[in-house]
Amino acid sequence: MSVTPSRVPVTVLTGFLGSGKTTLLNRILSEKHGKRIAVIENEFGEVGVDSELVIGAEEELFETNNGCICCTVRGDLIRILGQLMKRRDKFDYILIETTGMADPGPVAQTFFLDDELKNQFQLDAIVTMVDARHFEQHVDELNEPAEQVAFADLVLLNKTDLVDAAALERIESRIRGINGTAKILRTKNADAPIDKVLNVGAFDLNRALAVDESFLEPEYPFEWGGVYELAAGDYLLKTAGEHDHHAHEHGHEHHDHGHDHDHHDHEGHSHEDLDVVVFPVAAATPTGLTGAIEAAVRAFAEPTTVVRCHGALDALPGHFAIDISHPGADFKLMISKPGAYAFFCEHHPAEFGLQLAGQKPTAEKRFASHHHEDDISSIGISDPRPLDPTKLNQWLDYLLKTRGQDIFRMKGVLNVKGEDRRQVFHGVHMMFDAQAERPWGSSPRVNNLVFIGRGLDRAELEAGFESAVAK
Amino acid sequence: MAKQSLSYALEARAVAQLDDYVVDLAWSPDGKQLALAGGEGRVALATVGEKISIATLGEHVLGTLALAWQPHGKRFATAGQDGAVALWDAAEARQHKRWKPGVGATQSLAWSPVGDVLATAAGKSVTLWSAEGDKIHSFAPAASTAVAVAFDRPGTDLGVALNGELAVHRIEKSRFETRRYKWPAACLTVNFSGNGRFLASGMADGTLHFWNRSTGKDSQMRGYDGKVQLVAWSDNSKYLGSCTGNDMVLWDFSGKGPEGSRPLVLSGHTDRVDAFAWQTGGEHLLSGGRDWRLVLWRPGRAREPIDVQMTDGDISAMRWSPDGKRVAIGEKQGRVSLFEVVVR
Repeated sequence: MSVTPSRVPVTVLTGFLGSGKTTLLNRILSEKHGKRIAVIENEFGEVGVDSELVIGAEEELFETNNGCICCTVRGDLIRILGQLMKRRDKFDYILIETTGMADPGPVAQTFFLDDELKNQFQLDAIVTMVDARHFEQHVDELNEPAEQVAFADLVLLNKTDLVDAAALERIESRIRGINGTAKILRTKNADAPIDKVLNVGAFDLNRALAVDESFLEPEYPFEWGGVYELAAGDYLLKTAGEHDHHAHEHGHEHHDHGHDHDHHDHEGHSHEDLDVVVFPVAAATPTGLTGAIEAAVRAFAEPTTVVRCHGALDALPGHFAIDISHPGADFKLMISKPGAYAFFCEHHPAEFGLQLAGQKPTAEKRFASHHHEDDISSIGISDPRPLDPTKLNQWLDYLLKTRGQDIFRMKGVLNVKGEDRRQVFHGVHMMFDAQAERPWGSSPRVNNLVFIGRGLDRAELEAGFESAVAK
Repeated sequence: MAKQSLSYALEARAVAQLDDYVVDLAWSPDGKQLALAGGEGRVALATVGEKISIATLGEHVLGTLALAWQPHGKRFATAGQDGAVALWDAAEARQHKRWKPGVGATQSLAWSPVGDVLATAAGKSVTLWSAEGDKIHSFAPAASTAVAVAFDRPGTDLGVALNGELAVHRIEKSRFETRRYKWPAACLTVNFSGNGRFLASGMADGTLHFWNRSTGKDSQMRGYDGKVQLVAWSDNSKYLGSCTGNDMVLWDFSGKGPEGSRPLVLSGHTDRVDAFAWQTGGEHLLSGGRDWRLVLWRPGRAREPIDVQMTDGDISAMRWSPDGKRVAIGEKQGRVSLFEVVVR
């Protein structure tokens, strides 16, 4: 006789103190969206949220089985959400704000593990606020920032007005390295459009599982490629910032050839080389760029020519390691034959404000990040071969039993042998939901899997996948 | 069918409306009043006679979590999501005192059997208070959140349900020894058998445990389809009742006890049971839930329901009167009703 109402969506908002969570909350709450929103926030959260209902929560952890983090839930949330459902003035939306140090895992798992909550609430998405000004420092010093990014479906890169473009590129690339599938939105004053933050449906298996396609592409030794139409002549290639070589360098070089720029090291700098390749291509068009990718991969495998500051990139095609230790480092790109040229770069050039003076690429493309500075990273597998359902279960079972603690998120669309429909799944640690979704129809059948976790081993995951391929 | 099965029946006596989800009800020792706790926070007092008349006394903003009437007394205590504990004076129909025992919400309250001590569990702290609300003792913060507290029948031991253990504090003047009964899952309930021999706990991992208090031996009962939150001993300590779905599951502690045995399963509901209660001083068991049914059982005498009555909505709480003759029922939609057990 009891009716089952539609489930109330829940957004989990994580991020460090000062990252702008409260600003975002207040923006969401003050907008005229006609929704009744309840906010659950940690007891010692940032102050000043204006809502019809703000409930303080204390992080009460319950381990349900064998003391492992994968089976830990938040008792306070179970109680508070249960209490909310006793109200006659029902809420349309729940926002859970966690403090900077709280682990988003147990919060998310609560919605998988608790049967009553599962029936009444739908985890919509985990949104992580990142303070652009402090992220790099925090992520180097602490575990939590990378973990929060790893769990996220959406990362709001906030306070973008307080850092320069190069830093933003660096941070975004770092975030990508940790979590290859989260959407990243840049915001100034937490000013993300509300419809991009709420009702995202990241955990909704019925919605098409959006896995970032560029992430599933093979990993390349470069993050950026562009094509240019260049006339013959010399071009200035320069990083951002003012040239600030210490006065002695120029002077010394003229009458003391024994010295080179290694002087920098003595002054506490170190060389930072950026690998680039430059070679002529058929056309400075998107097609020309796509056609150049393979050649670029091959060129990156060739030995490098080290180019110091003020040096020249001349012998084309070439693989160069340009020394960008200093702000405002400059190089000379020498083009002898006019035509279309491809330029591929190990990191995104904007991370260093690297530009070919006076030139804009006629086509450019970002490539999957490959550098894992953090021990938390994402690994994607894309493979069309159909999987054997029994072997697939054996693999995933084994994987979650042995690596469940290290795998924060996993999701995927699977091509299972004998199944006409896409099999979709997602998980948080060992918690796992899977179901058949819409039919493949005429679209190409392909497996796309993503794992986000600590110390992931690509070879191990690929071997596991291989073991599940139908023979 | 057993011949006793038609002997007893439930008869509706009175109905009233609390403008709130009925979280719990508590009888006054004289059986003339009922305290009512609402899910949105209402705290009310009802006089129970031919009719039920309800008066609101106050509230806990964000919802009431616990309610307990002082044994032999005129006061009852409530706790809410607002973090406060309140003492209410039933004779004067007003709040006597209100305070915050600690950080976080008080989830559970328990009076000592003589009514001189009130135990509260808020977050990781368990505290003892006098009947006036003065602090008697604070236990060292537990390693995890205390979700339930209960005194044993003599009032010498206070059981606390924690993550991974039941802690039992011996309550003697200025001496508080603690004994721990461990199991690696979150304990959700703490239930002393009336005869003092057993201590039971419903667990988040879908098991029910009981410990023999003299030997410390732990026994586990499995087969539940979810976390075990509804657990209660029959008044005579013969049965340990539990429920996680539509059926009542009773473990028989007579004779050699339930180890190695199969439980008595009582099927009379078509939807989840959210409340059950053993008759005070009697053998009857009453269950109610989302199928709007109120089912009367006599375990050991009949496997079928003795009587079934319909209510007006999902049943959320039920309490037998101190004399065991009447039972007060609370519904999610706020209806409060009174039934009497009659011999036909």
